[in-house]
Amino acid sequence: MDQLFVNLKNMALHLIGVFAPDWLVSLSSILISVGAMTFLGIFIMMYLTLMERKVIGRMQNRIGPNRVGKWGLLQPVADAIKMLTKEDIVPEPADRLLHFLAPVMIVIPALLIFAVIPFGRNMTALDLNVGLLYFFAMSSTTTMVIFMAGWGSRNKYASLGGMRSVAQMISYEVPMVLSVVPVLLSVGSLSTGKIVEAQADLWFVLTPWGFFACVIFFLCGVAECNRSPFDLPEAESEIVAGFHTEFSGMKFALFYMAEFMNAFSIAALTATLFLGGWQGPLLPSWLWFILKTYSLLFVMMWFRGTLPRLRADQMMGLAWKFLLPLALVNILAAGLHLYLGGPAGFASALIILLGSFMGLSKVNRSYVPEKREYVLAD
Amino acid sequence: MLFGMGILRGLGVTLKNFFASYYKKPEEGGLFTVEYPEKRLPVKERFRNFPFLVYDTTPENMRCVACDICAKECPPKCIYIVRDNDEAGRPLKKPAIFDIDFTVCMNCGICEEVCPFDAIYMDHEFEIADANRLDALLYNLPDLLKPNDYFQKIRPNDAAQVDARRLEAEEKKKAAVAAVKTQAAAKDIKPE
Amino acid sequence: MESLQVLVKAGIYILMAAGSLAAIGAVFFPNLFYAGLSLAGVLICVAGIYLSAGADFLAMVQILIYVGAVMTLIIYAIMLTNIEEIKVSHLGIKQILLSILAVSGFAVLTASAILSIDWRPLSGQNRLEVHELGAALMSRYIFPFEVLGILLFAVLIGAIVIARKDKV
Repeated sequence: MDQLFVNLKNMALHLIGVFAPDWLVSLSSILISVGAMTFLGIFIMMYLTLMERKVIGRMQNRIGPNRVGKWGLLQPVADAIKMLTKEDIVPEPADRLLHFLAPVMIVIPALLIFAVIPFGRNMTALDLNVGLLYFFAMSSTTTMVIFMAGWGSRNKYASLGGMRSVAQMISYEVPMVLSVVPVLLSVGSLSTGKIVEAQADLWFVLTPWGFFACVIFFLCGVAECNRSPFDLPEAESEIVAGFHTEFSGMKFALFYMAEFMNAFSIAALTATLFLGGWQGPLLPSWLWFILKTYSLLFVMMWFRGTLPRLRADQMMGLAWKFLLPLALVNILAAGLHLYLGGPAGFASALIILLGSFMGLSKVNRSYVPEKREYVLAD
Repeated sequence: MLFGMGILRGLGVTLKNFFASYYKKPEEGGLFTVEYPEKRLPVKERFRNFPFLVYDTTPENMRCVACDICAKECPPKCIYIVRDNDEAGRPLKKPAIFDIDFTVCMNCGICEEVCPFDAIYMDHEFEIADANRLDALLYNLPDLLKPNDYFQKIRPNDAAQVDARRLEAEEKKKAAVAAVKTQAAAKDIKPE
Repeated sequence: MESLQVLVKAGIYILMAAGSLAAIGAVFFPNLFYAGLSLAGVLICVAGIYLSAGADFLAMVQILIYVGAVMTLIIYAIMLTNIEEIKVSHLGIKQILLSILAVSGFAVLTASAILSIDWRPLSGQNRLEVHELGAALMSRYIFPFEVLGILLFAVLIGAIVIARKDKV
């Protein structure tokens, strides 16, 4: 049961191996993995949109979509049909090549990230030696593509939204990468498979540095996906949908798809790096992975349903003035914990982290003017 | 924790609401969505939509006498009345044609207010949409006639008041007729 | 298995051809934004060639730093300075001859360098683990590491000084 999908794939390869030469078997091994990733990506994204609408609806005292199919399960199909049949409007001064390429090129890194995510025991599509760095490389190409989308629309709102989005994404990449460094210190390898195996005894989130690193990584990941509360570049009341203003129909669907796939990758990677990946006692490994990832996605939707949007300066302040110093102190604390070991290391790491958290929150207090005395004329 | 307490409390509120939406009743603060068209909210008594004509026991006993007041008072002029004639050509106190064009009617209720014979009242029926743009919403006399029982069912208080008023008027008329009869009887006895 | 290797070799050649085409495009596109994007294409193809040679860490770092950060900087520069299309100015015969001289000199240098290298793959253990890289950075190459740190520090301070609001 645990190796269900691996066994299925091996059976399929045996079947193909009966009547096909060797090279075709290895090629089809690659193609089965790639096809499964692609299909999984699209399927996940479709049902994530439905899950988001129903979860946020329940939080807001209303039922989500439930007309199309029982419990609204066919709603994503209806959405897909709607987006496919919409007119594809390209504004006249816009750059046709960039307008065409931007949605395509934003989905490519989002799909490529799925290759290093460990979906279960022995179920990573591509267990690279540098898997984690691959993830960061792919998410950094997204910034350039977003800028391409905003600039190619020749629209002031779009370029403004694109600039804001790029600024946000590059600011939040720094604490994100730094918060992963303690995990590397502890494991000693960048491969996602090895990171999950190193958490067999203790999930990293239960250590002091792991907890803070998990929170920092998750917040930065939410900011990388341009989701609430960090969705200033694409919020409707702010900037008329920002960098994807001028994209309609299938192109908008591709942007939407890339956003949800990024959200899924962030949740999956947080589960992998800090929550123990597919480790768990009773259930099959891929079921544990799905549970952890979807609870993190629920937390993302919970944030969206609760928190108001951050202003641009508040967002940048959070990244540079709070998360970055906290991530650096986290590395120090992780080093202490791993070097001293045992209760002394645990206690010292905890004290340093809590102290710096309180210090930073005091420093980052927003300015509240003192209460004024009103002296009224007689 | 200085920096995140407010956020955590807010998150707690929404999580409680999320779980409460599954078991709380609408009165206590749960989901109050009424899933139309499987369930419907009951309309209030004074809810007014398009008009209908009241008859007492059979459709021949309709209260309308074709006085034409409602047609004259209707603001968009959606009522068209033609008085009925009997075989000899003398006018009857009944309409032969009573058309209301529901595509014009604006549900103001003025026809109900000005009718002196308690004949036309506003109905509650609003699910009468049709795909035919031209003739489907032109309601004739047979479509508009509805019994008094129906009127009592949809607007019990108003129907009770109207019935009480009509009963009182009838009692008075009967009493007057009886008084005239006794007076006539007394007059008849006297000359003898 | 040979067919698979043929496919892989064909993929590498396609990557090299795409990189060369993108490099030509980066030089010759009159629209500056397209030129910038072609430059990004060149860098990605170079990363692909690193991958095919087995240097996976270097390929990922190339994408992360070059395409993620440097290209963003270049594109910001293109956008913020509002450059119109590049117009090619009139070239005289002296300029053409001088440029041919310079380019041929550079070509001779590069060709001699390429031809003097022994291109056979190294035998034995030549795949570098990431932790070996980190240990070498901390022990043997510590001085260049610290110098780079100071350089980045200077760059950061310079950027903050330039971006500061003037004291009113």
